[in-house]
Order: sequence, then C-alpha cells, then structure tokens
Amino acid sequence: MMQQGRHDLVERTLKPLLQLFCIGLAFTGVLLLLSPCIADAEDLPTKEVCLACHGDSDMTRSAPRPGRSNSLFVNEEVMQKSAHASVECASCHKIKTIPHNVPVAPVRCGSCHDKEQTALHDGVHGSTRAGTRVPVTACADCHGTHDVMRTLSLGIDICAKCHSKEVADYRTSVHGKSRMKGDNEAATCRSCHGTTHSILSKTDERSWTYPLNLPKTCAQCHSDPELARRHNIPIANVYELYIDSIHGRALTQSGLLVTATCSSCHGNHAILPPSDPKSRVNRANIPETCGGCHAGILTTYRESIHGKKFAEGNTKAPICIDCHTTHEIRRVAEEEWKAGVVKQCGTCHAESLAAYRDTFHGQVSALGFTRVARCSDCHGSHNILPKSDSRSMVNPANRMNTCRKCHKTANANFALYDPHPDPHNRDRNPALYYAAKFMTWLLIGVFGFFGVHNGLWAIRMVIGRRGHTQPPLPPGTGDSADLNGKEMDEEKDDG
Amino acid sequence: MAKHYLRFTLFQRILHVLLFTSVLGLVTTGMPLFFNQSGWAFWIAHTMGGFGVMGFFHRLFGTTMLSVFTVHMVLILRRVVIGREYRLLWGPDSMVPQPKDFVQLFQNIRYFIGLGPAPRFDRFTYWEKFDYWAVVWGMGIIGGTGLILWFHDFFSRIFPGWFFNVAILVHGEEALLASGFLFAVHFFNTHIRPEKFPIDLVIFTGRVSGHEMIEERPEQYQRLVREGKLEKFETTPPPMWLKNLGRIVGAIAVTIGLTLFVLILYAFLRA
Repeated sequence: MMQQGRHDLVERTLKPLLQLFCIGLAFTGVLLLLSPCIADAEDLPTKEVCLACHGDSDMTRSAPRPGRSNSLFVNEEVMQKSAHASVECASCHKIKTIPHNVPVAPVRCGSCHDKEQTALHDGVHGSTRAGTRVPVTACADCHGTHDVMRTLSLGIDICAKCHSKEVADYRTSVHGKSRMKGDNEAATCRSCHGTTHSILSKTDERSWTYPLNLPKTCAQCHSDPELARRHNIPIANVYELYIDSIHGRALTQSGLLVTATCSSCHGNHAILPPSDPKSRVNRANIPETCGGCHAGILTTYRESIHGKKFAEGNTKAPICIDCHTTHEIRRVAEEEWKAGVVKQCGTCHAESLAAYRDTFHGQVSALGFTRVARCSDCHGSHNILPKSDSRSMVNPANRMNTCRKCHKTANANFALYDPHPDPHNRDRNPALYYAAKFMTWLLIGVFGFFGVHNGLWAIRMVIGRRGHTQPPLPPGTGDSADLNGKEMDEEKDDG
Repeated sequence: MAKHYLRFTLFQRILHVLLFTSVLGLVTTGMPLFFNQSGWAFWIAHTMGGFGVMGFFHRLFGTTMLSVFTVHMVLILRRVVIGREYRLLWGPDSMVPQPKDFVQLFQNIRYFIGLGPAPRFDRFTYWEKFDYWAVVWGMGIIGGTGLILWFHDFFSRIFPGWFFNVAILVHGEEALLASGFLFAVHFFNTHIRPEKFPIDLVIFTGRVSGHEMIEERPEQYQRLVREGKLEKFETTPPPMWLKNLGRIVGAIAVTIGLTLFVLILYAFLRA
C-alpha cells in the first residue's frame, strides 16, 4: 500500500514536471533551429573578416562598372565615425560565400529602415527614372554609404548635389541669407518641400509646393504676426489678405492652377526682399512680374503715358500695384474698389480729382456709388494716353464717343461738358467763373445782411423782454383793453 | 370767445405744407451730394438705399415743388388777369416791395439798436416779402437748373456742354443759400424767436387772434377797421385738433430742418 502510495505521488507530481521540461526542451530546440533565420541565416563574417580584404586601399573590382568607382576599399576610420559604426558589414551586404565572385545583391536599406523606404517610394525621390526601374535617388545619394550620416547632420549641401541651381538661388535669397546669419526660423528646403523622404513633385496634388497648396505652405510662417514682428516683415497678415484677394479666391473657390500664388510673384528659391533691385517684387520689376501672366495688359500699359513715364525712370508713375494693391487685389468689378481707385488717381492728379468732385459724377462716386463715370471710364485704365494723342479717349475728336459709352444720345454739344470744371479759371469757362463769383457774393450778401439784422433783432428781444415796451396804438383804432381781455379767454381755450 | 381773423386760406396752407415737405425732402436727398465728403452724407445716401433711390425721391420732391410753384403762379395770374385784382400788384395786399418796406426796414434796425419805436407793419412785413421772393427766386433758379440737369439729353440740343457745369454749380450753391436761409433766417423770423417759440401756428390754422393782429400788424388792423373790411375776415377760433396737428407737423418739420442745418453748417465749416 505504501509503495502504491509513493507511485501515486510520482505519477501525480513528477510526471507533469517532466512533461513541462520536455515541452520546454522542444521549444528551446525549435528556437535554436530557427535562430539563424531570425538573426543570421549563416555564420556571418565579422567586420574584421571583411576588412581583411576590403581594408586594402588598392582593392578593385575585377570588371569596371559604368558610373561606379572600381575601388572596393572600405575606410575603417570613416566607418567608425558613421551612424552605422556598430552595424556589421553583412547586415547590409547580403553575401553568401567568401570570397564572393558572384554578383553581390544590392544593399537594401529598407530591410531595417522600412518606414523611410516606403515614404521615399511614395515621393519624387523614390520614383523610378523614366524607362528604368532605377530610383531617381538612392538612399546613399543623400546619406552616403559607409560614411552614413546622422539625420541631423544632413545639410543643404546634400540637396545641392543634385539641385545645385536651386540651392545657389536659395543662398542668395532672403531665406538663405537669414539662415546664414544664424536665423533658425528662416525657411530651408524642408520648410517648403516637406519631410525629407516623402518630398513630392510640385505637380503632385499632395505636394506642399503644388500651386493649390503653396499659399498654405508659405503661411506656415507668413501668417504669424509675431514672427513678422520679430523679422521686420512689414505685412503681418499677408495670408489673410491674399486668400481674400481675386488670386486667392481663384485658388480656393475656382481651383485654378494658373492663378497667382506666392511664388508667381515672389519667385521660389531666389526670393528677394522688395528693396533688392533684382527682386521680382522690386518696384522697377513689378510690371514685368505681373505681365508674366497678364501679358496683354503689360503690352497696353507700356504704350500708355504711365507706362512710358515709368520706363523713362519716373518711379512715381503708377504701376500695377498702385491701383490694384499687392496681396489684397480685388475684382475690378467690386464697388468698393471702383470707388476707391478714383482716390488713387487723385494722389497725383489732386486738382483734377477736386474738380471732378464738383460734378455729378464725382459727387455720386464719392458716396460710394459707381454707376457714374469714374476716371477710367473716360481716360481708360491701362491704355491712358495724353489727350493730344489721337488714340486717346479724351482727344477732342473722340470725346463724343467716350460720352456715348453711357449717354447714348450724346451729341457734339454734349461733349463740350467739362468733367473737371474749375470755377476759378476765367479762361476755361467764363460763364462758370462769373456764376461762381455771383453765387459767392449772393451767399455772403444774404447771410451777411440777415446775420446782422437777426443778430440785432435777437439782442433787442433780450433787452425788450426785460423792459417790455409795447409800441403805442394810434388813437381811435379800436379798444385795445377789450382785446387784451379777450386774449385771456383765448389763453384758456388754449390750455 | 376772442375774435379771430383769417390770414391764410386752407388752400394756401396746403400749398405751404406741400412746399416745406418737398423742400425738406429735396435738401435731404440733395445735400449728401453737395457735401459728399461728409460722414453723414455717406450715411444718408446708403441708409436711403443708394443714389438711385435718392435721385428718384429728389425728382419726386422736385416735381412736387415745381407743381406748387406753378399752381401758385397760375392762381396769382388768374386773379390779376381775369379777376382784375390789381391790388395784388401794388399796395398793402401785394407781395411786391413797396417804398414803405424800405422805410420800415430802416425803422426796424433803428428800433433794434434802441433809437426809435418799432415800425407799424401792415399785412406783410418786409422780411416776409423777402422770404416770399427768396422762395420764388430760389424755385426759379433751382427748379430751372434742376430741370436742365434732369433732362440733360434734351437740353444738350439747346445748350453747349459747359452750360451744365454752370447749371450744377448754381443748383448746388443756390440750394445751399435756400436751405441756409430757410432753416436759419426764416425759422428764426417766423417760429423760433421768443414771441413765437417754438412755432407760429398761423400757417397751420390760418387764423390770428385780434390781439395778435393789433400787436404785430397794427397798420393792417387799423386799415381794415377804417375801410370797414375787418368783419369780412372774421372767423371761428382754430379748433384744438387743428392746433395740435399744426404743432406736431410743425415740430417735425422744424426738427428736420434744424438737423439739416446743423449738418450743413458742420460740413460747410469743415470743408
């Protein structure tokens, strides 16, 4: 019985332990068997083994490959300083045998850097060259091979390896110069083009530099009034102004790719401050910049008196932005703009504007209504010509037709109307001169006379009320006492 | 019951209401153009609903005013030509200035400065005649130039274009004169001076009490008594409702007028 009992004990306690041990042993065995698959499939050569051959600076490949260095030398010193100092050669170079005379499989960075690889393949740098399966940019093009750099140490020079012109332009730009002065807020390549691996072509609608997205990209910095203050940027709310402008609305509401975005006027890599004579937004260059899209207008403008004066070097001559403004450019059909642009003409043509305000046209437009003739209705806008020019809308020969734009029945007589009359100029319109003189003296006469007359009257009334002297009634003209008594009755009625 | 005498007929009173309504309307719709640089001008123009609306009402009030003018002129002419009432052309019942008016002007100024008694006025005082002729002149000039500007297409067949420059200048300046005169001088002379303050109801009731007549127009009273015509003008005292209506309408009109005067003065002094 005793033995029977011990047997039971073994059965009940040791047997499960043994089973557990066997399962554990089997699991370990499987793990051991699988371990080469998880780590190295084979017994990989160490760095020392590799460098035994590749550490020789004279080592070259047997057959030259086009576009590649023949050297198979690996500088150990460089490797030790790289981000991959602790990575074994074989982790990247999947070699099967030593020596390896079969073509070695290319290095696949993505086997470790999977996320970056995917991003790169999504972006323009990972796209394949036309007609081939070779990517435009390999990891090594930016990161190097054995000297693989830490991300943070990768600078603009890496971009410059391929985009030398763009980087050279950038270095001349306000952004580039600020960076060089140590301004960490100035835009770099990545500020506009997006995170490194997933940089997209500007034709990709997801790209930060795609026309429909570009204003938002610039607005990352240029919608921050604080930033503008820190960097002395005069217009702090530029994004708001732009997005509400005709260009901004064409972008956000009409989805037009051809609309002007930031870069259309400011350029892209070589953005220069307006004070720079080479800047696309320097006053001297603005007509050309706007004319980049509005070519027909530019041609007309160049012919106009304003365009000619400007070309002669008169910087006060109006250019596009003087009437249309810069970022907040309005639709020219908008009432507010139409009423406001008249004032703009008046900044130089002050006398003409003042005289225009004395006409019905000028009075109505001053109140903000634009269904009356404004400067541009008679003089034209981009095509303004001096009245001596036979093509001018205000040339005496063309005036009647100009009036007829609104006044359909205007005749030659009608066209003798003076849209900016000067009542002080006797030679220009003698009738007006004398009429104005007469009216002025009539006003002075009437108000002068009644001013004195009523002033004296008022004084007399104050004094008269104190002393209250009734003019005496002439004798025999009815009974004043009786009437006075009756007046009291009337007062009662009144109350 | 105090005796009352008729000074203005119902028809004359109606014409006066139409006249001042149209004048207030014309000034309200026209002055924003004249003082277009003022904030209130912009506000009125836009509150009214734009220059189209403003123009429509300006022409409507202008038509009203010219109609009043025409009716008045036709009636006067008819009374003179058909009715042979030549007393309208000369004498105490005439609005035509008499030598006596110039004398009374002189006497009144003398009275103001305390050097003589107040003149004894007849039916119309010299300043009332001035008011009347100012309105006739004003309506002729402003109405005439207004019509020329309104129908510029038609008038351009007669007048050269520069004539419209003269027309708009005269139209505006004369309107400034008229509104300034009405809202300052006429209001003062007729309504606001202490004896009449705040309003002389005679233009609404048409009636004056005998006492008023003796005090203000002793010459007329005396003349009517002498000629035995006083009873002809005797009438009932003005009913209470008419007086109250006059007070309300008058107060509104005077308030609008004075407001416009302040606005005009403000804009004029700022310009």
